[in-house]
Amino acid sequence: MESLNVFAARLWPTENRFVSGHRACQGCGEALAVRMVHSILGRNTMVASATGCMEIISSSYPDTAWSVPWIHVAFENAAAVASGIESGLDILAKKGRLPKRRITVVGMGGDGGTADIGIQALSGAMERGHDMIYICYDNEAYMNTGIQRSSSTPMGASTTTSPAGSLSIGQQTWKKNVPLIVAAHDVPYVATANPSFPFDLAEKVRKAAAARGPAYLHIFSACPTGWRMAPELAIAIGRKAVRTGVAPLYEIVDGRLRITVPTPELQPLRDYLKPQGRFRHLDEKTIAEIEKRVAEEYRKLENREGRKI
Amino acid sequence: MEPPDDKTVRFQINGRSHEGTRGESLLAAIRRHGYEVPSLCYHEAVSPYGACRLCLVEVKRGRRQKLTTSCNYPLQEGIEVFLDTDRVVRHRRTILQLLLAMAPEAEELRSLAAEYGVEDTPFVTDEEHADNACILCGLCNRVCNEVVGAHAIAFAGRGLHKRMESPYDDVAEACIGCGACVFVCPTSCIGIEETEQMRRILKWHRDLPMQKCAACGRPFAPTFQIMHFADKIGVERSHFDRCPDCR
Repeated sequence: MESLNVFAARLWPTENRFVSGHRACQGCGEALAVRMVHSILGRNTMVASATGCMEIISSSYPDTAWSVPWIHVAFENAAAVASGIESGLDILAKKGRLPKRRITVVGMGGDGGTADIGIQALSGAMERGHDMIYICYDNEAYMNTGIQRSSSTPMGASTTTSPAGSLSIGQQTWKKNVPLIVAAHDVPYVATANPSFPFDLAEKVRKAAAARGPAYLHIFSACPTGWRMAPELAIAIGRKAVRTGVAPLYEIVDGRLRITVPTPELQPLRDYLKPQGRFRHLDEKTIAEIEKRVAEEYRKLENREGRKI
Repeated sequence: MEPPDDKTVRFQINGRSHEGTRGESLLAAIRRHGYEVPSLCYHEAVSPYGACRLCLVEVKRGRRQKLTTSCNYPLQEGIEVFLDTDRVVRHRRTILQLLLAMAPEAEELRSLAAEYGVEDTPFVTDEEHADNACILCGLCNRVCNEVVGAHAIAFAGRGLHKRMESPYDDVAEACIGCGACVFVCPTSCIGIEETEQMRRILKWHRDLPMQKCAACGRPFAPTFQIMHFADKIGVERSHFDRCPDCR
């Protein structure tokens, strides 16, 4: 599905649930991803959103960019609130006070709200088996508050709390693998997606919505502001991230992993790092080290393909 | 009060007044005003066809009130539309049962049927075509004709034997492998397979070799599709030598 283009693009739903006029930066990959996800999910959707970029840009009083029910909750409990909504709807349906229709409950958060602050609520919601989708929009740092590092920041990236300099390469640890942490909860559907591959994303959103039980989507979203790059590169960089193996696209259905956009030959990592100011300071030796680790992680993923996680 | 111009018409949905454009699809107008009507064969990008029959509503015009499909009903001044009357719901249930007999496994259809309390079908399921979940909605055909312009597939046969297929159920020579039909199919019955060398559209028996990018060597689109594009927009073939990432 991922290499469909021109014609299929004209069949994309035109009605937006996340409408224009919000305050996202130019070239925001995350706002684009939110718009894509919700045009696919449609109108029978309820959203609980953690604090983060998508909350502040879409809901500054008295405006809202949302045309579906949407609630902003604290940083740590988006998944808990979403699971509560799901249980509430369940009870109302049992009492016959709701029409018999499937309402998709979505919890959403950034990488900080998912990988750091919200992970215990997320783990709880996944473990209890609520029929909901949790979506992590991963832009690899706390961009909203001023580009502080998170556990999802990639190695070597310079942020305001992991500054690069003569004593440091920037972020010193490897990115936390949240999709596999969630997959360890044995949920029916886990996938990584990327707005640079819209049809792959659409397919995964549909599968997540159809899954009975918790589903998790990890959406890699380019952030020109925080990654210190030109806004017009947001889509291109997302494609590079997949081709270089930095952010592989895969899905885990009932515990079985499948790479949806296979990249048998990884492109040189430099192509991905070069346009981004946050990696500008890296020397050849460090780039080679990171490249080696990226390739290693990708091979690990390939070895897992088709097997039970 | 007079309508502001002769294109704007006033009509009622479930007793409430609304405005729309004369002649537009009633289903589109209903949905724009925030009401819900199910459908499987309607798509805003192509002409309505009225095949799945799920968008049934009751329309009262003058003294006559009748059941009709809303997707291909042109909006008129002064009509009264009723969405979920007992009659509509009763007929829609039967239609869902009939559709389920054609495609018992289709996920979207099943969840729609469940909303109407239809879990099973009393009708005979088509054992002979058990692997074919086509509900003859014709959406793929309309998309291929109106959006893509390839005219690769069409209905064949009549009555019980009606089916959507490539010419003589053989290789669809005109198919450019764009996958638009796969993307819109409500029962996901067409099927696409992709490898390094080939893209296969299973239902139309079409195998298309993939074009490799001159710069990065990655296959990015079927060669035949690229030729189609080059012809259509009148540029040199060489424009498409490279993939979108390398262009």
